[in-house]
Amino acid sequence: MANVTHARPAPLNRAGAGRFTRQERLAYTMLVPVLGSIFLIVTYPFVLAVIQSLQATNGGAFVGLQNYVTGLENPLLYEALAATAVYAALVLPTEILLGLGLALAVHRGIKSAALRALFFGMAIVPLVIPPIAVGVIARLMYAPSYGVINHILMLTGITHDEINWLGQPITAMPAVASVDVWQWTPFVYLVLFSGFLTVPRDEIEAAQVDGASGWSQFWRIELYYLRPLLILIVFFRLADVLRVFDHVFILTGGGPGNTTQLLSLYLYRVEFKFSDYGQAAALAVVVLIAISVVYSLVTRVLPLERR
Amino acid sequence: MAAKGKAAHLIGITIVGNVEMFMYRSDKGAAPKTWDEVKANADKNKAANFYGYLVRGKATNPVVADFLPILWSFGGDVFDQNWNVTIDNAASLKAVKFLVQDLKAAAQPGPESTDAADRDRLMAIGQGYQSTVWPGEITSVIQNASVSQVVGKVAYIPMPAGPSGKGVGMMGNWLLGVPKASPNGQAAADFITWLTSTDTQKTYVDNGGIPARKSLLNDSALNQKNPYFSALAKSLDAVPNWRPRTDQWNAVETILGTNLNAALAGTATPEAAVQKAADAIRTLMKGAGY
Repeated sequence: MANVTHARPAPLNRAGAGRFTRQERLAYTMLVPVLGSIFLIVTYPFVLAVIQSLQATNGGAFVGLQNYVTGLENPLLYEALAATAVYAALVLPTEILLGLGLALAVHRGIKSAALRALFFGMAIVPLVIPPIAVGVIARLMYAPSYGVINHILMLTGITHDEINWLGQPITAMPAVASVDVWQWTPFVYLVLFSGFLTVPRDEIEAAQVDGASGWSQFWRIELYYLRPLLILIVFFRLADVLRVFDHVFILTGGGPGNTTQLLSLYLYRVEFKFSDYGQAAALAVVVLIAISVVYSLVTRVLPLERR
Repeated sequence: MAAKGKAAHLIGITIVGNVEMFMYRSDKGAAPKTWDEVKANADKNKAANFYGYLVRGKATNPVVADFLPILWSFGGDVFDQNWNVTIDNAASLKAVKFLVQDLKAAAQPGPESTDAADRDRLMAIGQGYQSTVWPGEITSVIQNASVSQVVGKVAYIPMPAGPSGKGVGMMGNWLLGVPKASPNGQAAADFITWLTSTDTQKTYVDNGGIPARKSLLNDSALNQKNPYFSALAKSLDAVPNWRPRTDQWNAVETILGTNLNAALAGTATPEAAVQKAADAIRTLMKGAGY
């Protein structure tokens, strides 16, 4: 057996007597603003929230986990969670299916670069309108008596009486969710349309030569390449659903009763209406931990990278 | 009623004469003196696309603002003088039923989601007969000829009387005060004196402001231009009520406004809504040391 000698790696070029090379120091220096910003806007507030969650609202005395117990014992929390789940169940599948369908239709059906650019521009518009403005406009559209939605429904004979969209539980949640669908389906479309453009042409052409149908091409090839983007979309939209506030506040204020009081609106009221800062902080920490756990589980279970 | 443990004392000077009043279509009927007449007029004038009463019933603050004058006029209240919860007593429950059953029966569709802007819009396009109203709504919409079709057709009066024999408006708060820690307290006080003086307030009115001085509110020339001034002066004379002066009010209003909204929407009976609200407010106030 021949002797094998391993060459030792050359020593790093150290510019000074310190522990780091010049390149390492440069890298760390460049990271300081980013890490500092993350510390200021994420870590520091989170630590403050944890501290606040362990203190009494009045006086700031240490109360252990009392705020967590109080928060988790309140049945209104579970009503808000249930409302949020219903909202998510309405908006996420709808936005993904509509966005995917639109992206597929444009990808397959429109070859003109100008038309594609037009669709791109139109899709940007809802994304840049402040949600509060969207809520105000939607409120006018859903209003009984003079709202355009009831007017069209009655004009076309679809309904004979006005629908009290925002005033009854069975229609209030879909009405609120529809605003989200209008505003965020374009986001799904834009992301997935970009995804369609990254699917290798040779694989599609090979499938076509083999006689694969349009559906087979989509199901067996394109969807495979879109999968990481779909998971990304679910992540983004789920985070948005948990903090959706503006248009719900404008449209229904959480009503009728508590029907549309989503989690973010509930937390807002605990903090700013009930001034229970300890409980609000405790609930925020619980929500953050729950989201982190769900996300880490999802990223481990689902394939995020193309293999 | 002063906040618990505190004596009533002056902490600010009113800049806006902000009392919740009542408006009705004077071209179609006479002024109601009582809430019974309000109900009768509502039923009488209700027609297709014309609503006898406009309920501002959106959850939390809006529905409570609409309801409190009715509650007080019916002899009910949220608390008694000792901060005991009274929203579930007989007089209060009667007021709740009056709003969510009697007035709703003649109201616009969807009162549960109606806020002040929606009410103003309905009134301004000629689809409402009567409602409660804040001065700010009058100046910005109802009497604004550029957006309103009912200028000259709406009259303003103090809150009608209820079974208690009184009509009680609600005072909104737009106050001028000087922080204790202000290094220029005297200058700030001088400024308030100047700003609330008759001459300055007249300029304020000329530029669309809502004054609190009775000499201006009762000025006949100003009443020609501002037809709600006289009602505002009478409302101030009648001594309006304030929302209960407690640091827990935001929470109380949220509880009461959520449950009233549920009763208005029909997802809870008036009795159940009132009981649920009363229980939650009692728990809240007990926790806050009341």
